[in-house]
Amino acid sequence: MKFTLFAAALAIAAVPAYAHGDDKPRHGGQVVEVGETVFELVRAPAGVSLYMMEDGDEVPSASMTGKLVVTTGSQKSEIPLVAAKGNQFVAKGANIPSGSRVGVLVINKQTQARQSATFAIK
Amino acid sequence: MAKMKTLAWSTVVATGILTPALADAHGIWFAQRAKQIAIIYGVGADDLQSVKRQPNMESVQAWDADLNPVGAQLRTDGSLVIVDTDAPPTIVSAVLQNGTWSKLPDGEFVKKPKDEVPNSVRSETTIKYAVSIQGPLTKPVPLIPAQTLQIVPVGAIPAMLGTPLTYRVTFKGKPVAGATVINDMVNDPDAKEVATKADGTVTFPVRNQGLNVIRAVYISPTDNPTKIDRYEHTATLAFTLPHAPEQ
Repeated sequence: MKFTLFAAALAIAAVPAYAHGDDKPRHGGQVVEVGETVFELVRAPAGVSLYMMEDGDEVPSASMTGKLVVTTGSQKSEIPLVAAKGNQFVAKGANIPSGSRVGVLVINKQTQARQSATFAIK
Repeated sequence: MAKMKTLAWSTVVATGILTPALADAHGIWFAQRAKQIAIIYGVGADDLQSVKRQPNMESVQAWDADLNPVGAQLRTDGSLVIVDTDAPPTIVSAVLQNGTWSKLPDGEFVKKPKDEVPNSVRSETTIKYAVSIQGPLTKPVPLIPAQTLQIVPVGAIPAMLGTPLTYRVTFKGKPVAGATVINDMVNDPDAKEVATKADGTVTFPVRNQGLNVIRAVYISPTDNPTKIDRYEHTATLAFTLPHAPEQ
């Protein structure tokens, strides 16, 4: 698909935001809220974890599939997430550098409903 | 779709001097429904039958913040048509071929071309286009080839309602004069339409600290005068301004 980029302007700042739940990190990670859903991304030497809360409740990771779409500079890669305990997803061995942009996509196995969020990694 | 691709657009000149558009054109737009990206068909508060029209939806596309294509598919979810994407999308778009309609002398419309409606006073093929900005961009909103009529924001979308924002309306990739635009198709559908200037632009204050759906209508000439008198193109641009944090 080829685009014609139209005239001036950049940076659209329109993002649905502001959750209705607890937005404090519970695992020492970085938090992004989308509507009533809170995503927490934790980077650790052993890999990356993602935690998901919805309307104040933990979302069982076993009910979902998920992946991370990581953009670091001009490099883009996808990292599959594996359900772990409770509301934790893990990507063992994954390393996400600071400054990366990380898209999260999770899909409810039963309903196929999708949720996404984007992290700007500090 | 093949139908549109075979149209002889060479006869269409975007002069903006054609018949004024309908004031009440229905359209499609993107809106969040139960956290999903839904395609809504209607006008104002009328959220009409999108599932029935799903077979006529085409060119469903999505891109990430860097304008890399992202896979996108339609999914029926009860009474909704949902767009599923393979990665978090920043822009999504779709087209609806909404059929050919003929207007009768009494003002009613029938879904037939004019050669099947001898007393037709006007026959038109209607095509609906929709673009939604779902998240922050690192590049300007692009012109999307499938969006024959498209509304493009000129400049960054502001954070607060009431701030003026200029839009450029394009037809076949070029700015078009005389497209008629309203600022809020959902909450103010009967607003006085404003025609785009020679450079295709029109400026409105951003109306809502929430969902904004801008609508443009443009009429182009027929290339098949035995069937229709004209094409009616209706485009929307949807974006959302975030609300304040819950206290």
